This record gives sequence, structure tokens and C-alpha cells, in this order.
Amino acid sequence: MSLLALNGVTRRFGALTAVDAVDLVLDAGECVGVIGPNGAGKSTLLALMVGDQRPNAGRLTLDGRDITRLAVHERVRAGIARAAQIPQTFASLSVLDSVRLPALYGAGLSDRAARDWVDEVLALCGLADKAQATAGALGLLDRKRLELAKALAARPRVLLLDEIAAGLTEPEVDTMVALVQGLREGRAILWVEHIPMALRAACERLIVMDRGAKTLDGPFAQVWSDPGLQAVYMGVPADAAA
Amino acid sequence: MIRPFELAAVALALGLGILGARMLDAGLLFLACEVLTLFIMAQMWNLLAGYGGQVSLGHQVFVGIGVYALFLTANATTLPLWLVLAGVPFAVALAAIPLGMVMFHLKAAYFAVGMWVVAEIVQQIAYKMPFVRGTAGLVLRPGGQSIQGYPEQIVFVIALVAAVGLMVALRVFLRTRAGLATLALRDNEGAARAAGVNVQRLHLILFCVTAGGCAGAGALYYITTLYVTPNDAFQLNWIVAMMVVTVIGGTGTLAGPVLGVAILIGLREGMTAAGFSGDQYWIVMGLLSVAVLLVSPRGLWPTLAGIFRKG
Repeated sequence: MSLLALNGVTRRFGALTAVDAVDLVLDAGECVGVIGPNGAGKSTLLALMVGDQRPNAGRLTLDGRDITRLAVHERVRAGIARAAQIPQTFASLSVLDSVRLPALYGAGLSDRAARDWVDEVLALCGLADKAQATAGALGLLDRKRLELAKALAARPRVLLLDEIAAGLTEPEVDTMVALVQGLREGRAILWVEHIPMALRAACERLIVMDRGAKTLDGPFAQVWSDPGLQAVYMGVPADAAA
Repeated sequence: MIRPFELAAVALALGLGILGARMLDAGLLFLACEVLTLFIMAQMWNLLAGYGGQVSLGHQVFVGIGVYALFLTANATTLPLWLVLAGVPFAVALAAIPLGMVMFHLKAAYFAVGMWVVAEIVQQIAYKMPFVRGTAGLVLRPGGQSIQGYPEQIVFVIALVAAVGLMVALRVFLRTRAGLATLALRDNEGAARAAGVNVQRLHLILFCVTAGGCAGAGALYYITTLYVTPNDAFQLNWIVAMMVVTVIGGTGTLAGPVLGVAILIGLREGMTAAGFSGDQYWIVMGLLSVAVLLVSPRGLWPTLAGIFRKG
């Protein structure tokens, strides 16, 4: 059975349909890349998955359980976490405490279990030496790492990554890719990113979104060479590109 | 959990309270009671607004409800006054649950103004209640008997222990996991929610705790005056003082309201001593809060603490 399934999920903002009847299935152990032009509905899709937005139509299931009506904190506890595009830091908390919070509440760990788990997450995300630093004082790369660490600390089975490599230098992107590759075991990862090389290295499946709809979904290489992808980005009709 | 010096602080407060109650004259005791009860209220407002991010313009309603809960219950029954006082915060906190559940449907500014409306409505209802006796006022006569001696002495001890105890309790609370969630809530509500915190429930808990705290502090204060009218108990001045004290002292810091109360009462007493009449200190206080908000938006305490840390 699929881990996370979206059936006909639609989100409208007035006259604009940001996400249009998207069907999507994620299985444990897979890393799926999502690309699409600005405004294609990628971030809204993730917002619908974590519960920031409620769909106007359609339903979401996690392990076969309907989660469409669940609030954000309930979905985190059920196993869906997102590293947001703009790092959502707790300015006055330490890095350690910022990661401890989702370990306690999201993952539901005891104080003792959370302590070990947080150390592990910080080491994994390359923040071990900054555990006592104030989150608000971190640089961009570290804030991105912290955003990922917070999502990871909740022990999600579905990990959503929203442009976690955006704005990073090439070596930093490589670091992120290596990190993501180490996270896939036992969970599904959905990674929205504008950097094709990062997705190519980390994902074996690729989804293309355009104007709210999922236009392509399949093995990475196949979707990558699909004329439809060029049509989306270059604005040429699919048949002309072919 | 609780650290030795925190326990020592509470014990010291009790000792100083008993000593002070014997040594200080009635006028000074009355002033101290006012300072301490106002501090408790301000700290409550700070907990809800500064930490929880829920700005209420109507917490004076809990002051009024607390006072009337105490006066009416104590006057109508033979229960000891201090026992009734101890029950007031809990009763009002419980009563605040349904109110909070309704009011939290309003967000941000709507919640703030909505609370103000609630306070006005409750005040108007209080006026109409025959047992409240409207503008004629109500005298505190526990069990129908007049109070003998000076209640300020006992009120002072309770208020001092309660104020110090509140500081200690909040420090201990902020070290717990719910405290961590509260600190996270102060910094970033959305991120706290994304970390799995049930923000709505945390807001409700803070709302009820602060309602109970304001009620207890209000009840305590009016034991020293022995007399209350709805005009007085539900007055806007309470919430203005809570806000100004917190905003000037430092929003979202435990020390902020301490500093704020010291400034507010210090200014009032200083200006009165210098011959300025009545409520003129509020003008200075208003100007001061505007100045503080412009120079140091999070209040004076974070700025002062920053200077100390650097120096």
C-alpha cells in the first residue's frame, strides 16, 4: 500500500486554481523530485500536504487513513514534515532547543529519548558544533540545515523539502544532496527544487508541475528527456518541441 | 526542576513579607500591595501577549470577576476569607475555558478588540445585577461581619509570596517541555505548529492561567480597599497599566514587568510628591511608552540586558 496518496486534490485562491486535481502517490524508500516554473503550484502542493492549506476538493490519505481534515500539528505527529523554503527559525532559541521541540512534540519522544535523537539529527545535519548557538544568529546555510534538522527531528515518514538548496553555493548543494540521500531509508521524500543537478543526483523519480496540474510523472531520465518538459519551460507546444 | 536558590527566593519572600507586615506603616503597606498585585496582573498579560502572542484588551474583565467572586462568596457564606481567595483563581480559570474557546475564533486584532467588548458587556451586566448593588458599591463583610484590623498586613505577605512565587513558577515552567513550546510560540507560531505543538490548546491554557492570575490579583488588591464598584473593578485602567508596564519593561521577558511596574509606580509617586495632581503621570507614561517603542520595540529590559552583557 502506498504511504501518502493524494486524490484529485484541488486548491483555489479566488479565480486562480493553484493546485488542480492532482493525483499523487508516494511510497516508502523513494525520493521524488518536483520541478516546474514559478507559480506552478509546487509550494501550495506541499502546503496542502502539511496542512497549512486545506483543499477545496479531493482527499489525502496516509497509510490508508484519511488525513484531509487533520490540523498541521496532527499531521506532523502522524508523520508528515516539511523543511520550508524560507527557514522558519525560532530566533531566540538555541539550535539544540529548536530541534528538541519537534523531537518532543512531533516525534512524541520522552525527554531522555529526545536528547539522544537530537544529538543524532544535529550530527547528521552538520550542526553538532553549533548546538548551543542562537538560531537567529546563524548564516543562510546553517539556517537551511536547521530547517531540515527540525523537519527530520519529527521523525517523518513523509519528508517534504521545499527548495532547501536554493541560494546555496555548488559545494553546499552537494552537501545537501549527500545529506538527503542518507535520509531515504524507510521514508518517502518529495523534493521541490529549481536545481536540476541536485534532483538528478538524489531522485529516481521526477514530477513536473505546470499551472497547478501535474503534467509529467515517471522515472527521472524518462521525464527529463520528455518533450513535454521542454514545452513547460520553453513555452513551445509539445509537438513542436518533438 | 525547581532550583535551590529559587526555593530560597520564595522562603525569603515569606520572611520579608512577615517582617515587612510588622514594620511598615499602613500607607506604605497599601502601596506595596498595589505594586505587587499590579505586577502579577502585568506578568499575566505578558505571559499571554508577550509569550503567547495573544494580545488581549479585555483582561480587566477577569480582575472584576475575581473581585466580585471574592466579595459575593465571602459575604454570603461563612467560609474563611483567605480560603475563598485561594479558590478564586481556579474558579475563574475554569470559567475562562468556554470564553477562550469562543474568543479564539477571532484572530489577532479581532481577538484583542473582541476581549475588550466582552469586558464592556460583563461590566454592563454587573451593573444590572441587584446583588452587585451597582454604583452604590459593595463592602467586604466576610460572613456578614466587618473586618477587624488591617487586612493589608496579611495581603502584603500573600502578595509578596505570590509575586515571587509567580516569577519562580514561570522560570520553572519555561524549563519544561511545555515551556519550550511557549518560547517557540513567542518566536514563531507557524514553526511551533509545524514542530507538532498544538498551538490552539497552548493558547487556551495560557488564556485560562492568565485569567485566573488576574482574578486572584484583583481579588487580593480589593481586600485592601474593602469596597468595590463595577466602575472601579472593571475599569480600563487595569488593562492599560498591564500593557504599559509590560511594553515599557520588556515584552516576552520575565524581568520586563518588574522593571515596568517600578517605573510606573515610581513615576506616579515621584510626580505626586512633586505636586503634580491626579492622573498627570499617565501623560508622561504614555509619552514614555511611545519613546520606548520607537527606540527599543521589545521594551527596556532586553536593551539593558544587552548593554550589561556587552559591558
